[in-house]
Amino acid sequence: MRNVGIIGVGYTPVFVSKRRDVNIAEMISEAVDAAFRNTGLGPEDIDAMVFGNMQTFEGLNLPHLWASEHIRALGKPIMRIATGGTTGMSALHAGYYHVASGLHDVVMVITYEKQSEGDSQVGLAGIITPEIMTMLSLGIDLTGGTGMGGLGGGSAGGVSFQANSYLNRSGATIEHIDKMAALERRNAALNPYAHLKDPDATPEKIAQTPLIAYPIRFGHVCPTTDGATVAILACEKKAAKLADKVAWINGLANCASDATTGNLIEGLITDPGEQRPCMIAAKKAYEMAGIEDPQKEIDMAEIYNGFAHQCLMFMDRLFLCGEREAHVLLDKGELEITGRIPVNPSGGVVSTNAIGTSALNRVTECALQIMDKIEGGHKVQKDVHNAVAHGWGGLMQYVTVTVLGDKPRKR
Amino acid sequence: MEELRETYITPVVPLDFTYNYRVGQYMERFLNSLKDKKLMGVKCPECGKVFVPPRMFCGSCNQKLDEWVEVAQTGMLANFTVGHVVLEKGARLAKAESPYVLGLIKLDDVDSLLLARVEKVAPADLKKGMRMKAVWKEELAGDYSDLDHFEPA
Repeated sequence: MRNVGIIGVGYTPVFVSKRRDVNIAEMISEAVDAAFRNTGLGPEDIDAMVFGNMQTFEGLNLPHLWASEHIRALGKPIMRIATGGTTGMSALHAGYYHVASGLHDVVMVITYEKQSEGDSQVGLAGIITPEIMTMLSLGIDLTGGTGMGGLGGGSAGGVSFQANSYLNRSGATIEHIDKMAALERRNAALNPYAHLKDPDATPEKIAQTPLIAYPIRFGHVCPTTDGATVAILACEKKAAKLADKVAWINGLANCASDATTGNLIEGLITDPGEQRPCMIAAKKAYEMAGIEDPQKEIDMAEIYNGFAHQCLMFMDRLFLCGEREAHVLLDKGELEITGRIPVNPSGGVVSTNAIGTSALNRVTECALQIMDKIEGGHKVQKDVHNAVAHGWGGLMQYVTVTVLGDKPRKR
Repeated sequence: MEELRETYITPVVPLDFTYNYRVGQYMERFLNSLKDKKLMGVKCPECGKVFVPPRMFCGSCNQKLDEWVEVAQTGMLANFTVGHVVLEKGARLAKAESPYVLGLIKLDDVDSLLLARVEKVAPADLKKGMRMKAVWKEELAGDYSDLDHFEPA
């Protein structure tokens, strides 16, 4: 298996709620152009493409083929990946397999979401409706009073149980979730590719937003965003030729537990706060990357957090702190851009959620920090040698992890 | 980026879907037993765990589950949330008439959690570990809604 590095990243010029000035394929082309511009490469340098977006959100089943000219894919191998919230990172992993296997040397990974073009029928219902069968088979009735528990506004219903469970086990309070959300909205204000920006966000301001389902407030929830992200991956030999700086993909893994709110593999069934798959995937990815002590060796993290509590919850699941420690680190200021272990300097998913891109952006943001190519003010102040990126989604129970480094893995 | 305008050409694509999924053999048996005010689960032959609602497989042991057991209708409140919005037509969000409680119930001698409405307890008085009992609808139809809610026992 060969080493694989990220040699370039491209974003759409903005991530906003409505890009009505372009259609889907046109919007995607902007990120492809940006990746070419940032690397000095052209279509002739790309051997194959992997494309990813959330299934059903715009009601399109074959967006990668619609956009095949826009992404300069004609005559080249291309496949689409759709694994729910984790799609962006799954697409990256598929690109990794392409290169690590020796089949292709340079691969472009393209992800997008243009949520403004689906309405709630084809967007929310589009992703929910196909899972109704799963819900019904697990005893969750959509037409009755418990429908919200399984689905609640996308995933806010199930996620509220998750947040409550996290608060119970960690000793954190709802005020810590307010504080985390405020921190990320302030980080987002420094990032030119973030959506919900508020340089003056405070926990008190977040606390004034209405409760959706206890303990989830409106201010804890991600927006719906239009945007696209591209990453270019290369083998070691090509990377040396094509790139001045490389962020190496040194470890990767994914893991699923049972469906819906469940976590069958961990004992107490259906506690959506357990997220044991994250621990399993993280352990494998660190091991592959040669990381022995994540708390010492990982310099920063980008954590998938459609809801603000998830950043804190997944910190211990990624072994970045002890089980009751994430909110303590938050209180000490250690999670800030200037802190000891900066988390989501980009502003996270809670500030920007073009879903297909969201899990890939966790990786590209780590890569840009490692390559020292962050645009905007959210460059962390310490040197970044190793970083961890995390994706979450599926039916509440699917996790992807990628460990990146400034040096390729030794073998 | 093109300069932003007031309007763009955006044709509406009217779609209206109806699906008719089969609920499956396991849930069908579970739902049918609701008509007799019984809560049925399945037991894993390897780890001995009992699942309600029933599942076909124990994912931990990779065992097919076919030992059916009737379980208690009492248990404890393992987790809860207070809903302030409701789903309309399976998709749209609307403000709830008043806050309502959803709980994950850990039935006695059952190893899974059952999602249910919780009534007769004010949101402020909710506590993890509270004893709960099942309350049935008056007219039973073999439907999810037969088990109406749980309330403090």
